[in-house]
Parts: sequence; C-alpha cells; structure tokens
Amino acid sequence: MLKESVSPARTAPLEAVSGRLKKSGGVDRIIKRSLQVVNIAFYYLVILSLTFVFLYPLLYMLSKSMMQAQDVADATVQWIPKALSFHNYSLAWRSLNFWGGFTNSAIISFGSAALQIISCSLVGYGFARYRFPGYTLCFVLLLFTFLVPPQTIVVPLYLFFSDLGWINTHLPFVVPSMFGHGLKGALFVLIFIQFYRRMPNVLEEAARIDGAGPFRTYWQIMFPLAKPAMLTVFLFSVVWHWNDNFEPNTFLTTPNFYNLSQRLAMFYGTNNQAAETMSQMTSGSIGMAPTGLNQVMAGCILTILPILILYLFVQRHFVESVERSGIAGE
Amino acid sequence: MKKSRLSMRARYYMEGYSFISLWLIGFLLFMAIPLGRSLYYSFQKLQVSQNGLIASFVGTDHYRAAFTTDVNFLPLLKDTMVSMLTQVPLILIFSLFCAILLNRKLVGKTFFRGIFFLPVIIASGAILSKLMDQGAANLPIFYNENLYSKLSAFIPGDLLETLLQYAESLTLVMWDSGVQILIFLAGLQTISITLYEAAKCDGATAWEGFWKITFPMIMPMMLVNTLFSIVSSFTKADNQMMTHILNVVFKTNDFGYGSAMGWIYFVIIFLILGLVFLLFRKSLSTTEGRK
Repeated sequence: MLKESVSPARTAPLEAVSGRLKKSGGVDRIIKRSLQVVNIAFYYLVILSLTFVFLYPLLYMLSKSMMQAQDVADATVQWIPKALSFHNYSLAWRSLNFWGGFTNSAIISFGSAALQIISCSLVGYGFARYRFPGYTLCFVLLLFTFLVPPQTIVVPLYLFFSDLGWINTHLPFVVPSMFGHGLKGALFVLIFIQFYRRMPNVLEEAARIDGAGPFRTYWQIMFPLAKPAMLTVFLFSVVWHWNDNFEPNTFLTTPNFYNLSQRLAMFYGTNNQAAETMSQMTSGSIGMAPTGLNQVMAGCILTILPILILYLFVQRHFVESVERSGIAGE
Repeated sequence: MKKSRLSMRARYYMEGYSFISLWLIGFLLFMAIPLGRSLYYSFQKLQVSQNGLIASFVGTDHYRAAFTTDVNFLPLLKDTMVSMLTQVPLILIFSLFCAILLNRKLVGKTFFRGIFFLPVIIASGAILSKLMDQGAANLPIFYNENLYSKLSAFIPGDLLETLLQYAESLTLVMWDSGVQILIFLAGLQTISITLYEAAKCDGATAWEGFWKITFPMIMPMMLVNTLFSIVSSFTKADNQMMTHILNVVFKTNDFGYGSAMGWIYFVIIFLILGLVFLLFRKSLSTTEGRK
C-alpha cells in the first residue's frame, strides 16, 4: 500500500532510513518509545482531569463567591466574574457572626481532637500490647462502637446530658473524647492499635530494664513515637468535628452556641430570604430566582477556610503519616 | 517460685486493664447505658411533663408503627439502601483506581495526593448540602450538552435515564472516596515490588499482575473499605433517615418512637455488615493461605 501511494523516487531514501534503523533495532525502539510517551501522556491526562473533579467544589465556591448578583444571573459568565467583588464575604461574615461560630467550632474541634489523641492513644496502647482475660470481648465491643449509628443512642444521650445540665455547653463533645469515645473515637483507637502493634518490643524492654514503670514507658517512650498516628487522628478528628452537623444540632440548641457549620446551614443569603418572603407573601406568584448563591458560597468558603489553612500546613506530612500509621490494618 | 510468677501475670493483667480502663468507663457511660436505655424506651410511650418524662409500656407498638403507619419510614429506608447499594461498589472501584494511579511514580506526588483528599475537608456536612442545593454537586457535562436527547436514539429511555443518574452521582462518589483512596494507597505500598518482578519474569502482563497479585493482596483493605463505606453511607450528614429520626425526636418529642426507629436502623445495618463479612470470609481465607 505504501509503495503504491508514494512515488518510487521518494521511497528510496525512506527505505534507506528505515533500513538503517532496522539494523540497529531502531524502529522497534521508536515505536516502543512513542508508545511509552503516549502512555505517560494519557496517564497524566487522566490524573489531571481527576484533579479537576476534586478541585471542582473549591473552584466553584471561589468563583461564585466573588461574583456580584448580575454575574450570577448572566449566562455568559461561567467561571470568571466580570468584576471582582468581596462584598459577599463581608456580608456572609456578618450574617454568620463569624467569630462566634469560629470560637465554638474551634473549641469543639481542637478540644476534642487533643483529648482524643491522648485518650485513644492510651487505650490503643493497652489493646496493642496487653492480652488479658476478656480481651476479645473488649475488642469486639470496640468494633461494635464504631458501627453503632449515632441515631440509635441519640435519645438517651440527649436525656443523659440534659440531666447533667450539659445541653448548650461544649461538654457533650469534650467529655466523651476524654474517655476515648466521641465522634469516631473507636476508629482512632483502631488507628493507634495498628501503629503500636508495629513498633518493636525491644524499645519497651529497654525502658523496663532501665527501671521505668509501664506508664512511664508508655508516656516517655511510646507516646512520642506515635507522631504519625497522632497527626492522622488529629486531622481526621478536627475535620470531622468541624463539619459535623448531627451532634451539634442535637446538643447545641441556642444560636449563641451554634458552630460555623450550623450557622452555614441556616444561612441563605439576604437575596434568597427576600425572594422567599416575596413568594410567600404573593403565595408563589411572584418568586424571584434565588440569587443568594454568591453569598452562600462566600459563607461556605469562610466556613472551611480555617481547616483549609490547617490542611495546607499539615497536608504533606499527613498523607505520608497515614501510610505509616497503619490505618489500613493488617 | 510459682507464686511470684502468678503475681507477675496478675500484675501484667492489671496493667492492661488500667490502660484500657478509661475506654471501658466511657463505653459504659456513653455507649452501653444509652444503648440499653434506648432499647427500653423503644417499648415505652414517653411523655414530657413538669416532673420530667413519664413512661408507659406500649410493647412493640412503635416497631409496628414504623412499618405500617409511618408514611416516611419505609421509603426513606429504601432510599438509604438503594443509595448504599449503588454507591459503595462505585466508591470501591473508583478509589482503587485512584490509589493505583497515585501509587505510580509521578511528578508532584504529594501535591496530587493532597488534592485527592481535599473533598473530605470541603465536600462534607453543611457545605455539601449547600452545594447540592445549587446543583453544583454534579459536574455540568452530563446535562449541559443535552446528552439525553443525543443518546436516546441509541439507548432505550428508561435505561438511559438510570445510566445518566448513575453518571451524575459519580461526582458525589468521587468526593466520598478520599479516605478509601488513602486506605488503598497504604495497602498498595505494603505489596513488595519483587512479587511483580517475579511475575514479569514468568511472562505475566500488567493486567494479569493486577488480578493475580494486587487484587488478592489488597483484599483485607477491600474489607476495611467496604465496612467503612457502608457505615459512612448510613451515617453521613445528607442521609435523610438521620434527619427524619431527629425530626421525630426533637420536633414532635416522640422519644419512644425515635428510639424504636433507631433500633430498626441499627439492626438492619448490622445484618448488612454481617452479610459483607460472610461474603469476604472466603476470599480472605484464600489470601491467608497464600501468605
């Protein structure tokens, strides 16, 4: 086919070239090489498009939050607003009462995370290094607590905490964390168990020979070594507490105590409220298109900004430490 | 001699117990007692009065009511099940795919891994529900290009609709799989490279390598991920069942009925998890033998 379509005068040098290449096995190498390049290009294409999917919510929120109302309504504006506007942020900042929500969120998230690191690590060490009568039962109970949905026990917990007068305080979040429970506490204990199991026994034996008691061995030798597991637990705990809506909605019922994520759930943007009241007053005949979108997205950005900053700092160590902390189990 | 050894052992036990004692106390206070009380409440009619709660025994009325008179309960249960059954397999496949992609040598490894975990931070709780309100939780490609009318010539309408719905839920699936990607990634890194080299010497292709080495080796992580995905799909913030139970409990103050629903939900989850364990037991025992 090639010979038919190309004139003989031009095929001659071509054949010469290919002949020269064939002698050194070059054609195979070129084919192999170009296949490799295509392969790598395809690989990066896939991974970059996935990256876009994962960045999409953030980009969407950022872009919409910068838009003014007319840009949101304008179909020709897709990603880049015609005029930058930070007005939405100041509006959302005030409506969310940012500092109030931030303080509540921070106390719950960071307080619980810190306590969970200490308590779950202690318990995890106990499970990892000791075999005592009833060990299997305790371990099964530990798995069990991971699987019980919070809905099942929310009623008695609510009554229990309200008997103690803890409703509308931060205690329902902090105290269970102190005992190695709280939000996903069982999972954190499991992470620490996996980590301590992988540590060599000789470390403790050496400390014991030097005369340290079990708790001193734990606190001075083993606990400081568990930094990768701690980082994993810390970030998971902070993030999950920060985004959690279920328990705060149950235990925090006055607006003063609302954390950021609750405030965001309440936040519709002023335009939306106007549209809603308008449509209620006219029993739905005049309903404006909801254009509070930009304000809501600004609220979203404000809500996640603190943990986004936190993630930015620990991200590099975090992903490595997940691999080393043995979250995956054996 | 014998006596001292016994006391050594007793001391060892005591040390073990004291390490986990904190957790045991917490278990009693925040899990066992509430669980027992919620089971007790589920058989009672609880009424709020000035002297606190007044309970009267109603037997299994609440349980029957959930299945017979409550118009919301069964549809919500069905929705939760359907979304779990469709999403969990997708999450598993997708997160394994991502983990394999990320496990290869590539430029900017930490950067990509950081990005892939980002949705765990962003797309959860209140923010996810805000995004879903705006329809921003679906990538626009599936409806912007009028895919439905274009494809309806080739694929029958019903099938196409379910397919497109499936495709639309893909973004949510991707955002849900951050933790699972990390777990798979950690699992992949425990597989020794020599295994692949040996297989390659024996003439195995990459495809065969995946099914004969990678897949069986990460079976334990598959189990962990399946359990984790199921539990999180049942308890995540946009789960309608959770909202329903909260509404029943705190808007209508029907504590007894709320507890009963919680228990039904709990038992169903347990049955499903038990089923998963049974399914995995066979494949897990084969990997154990291989080690």
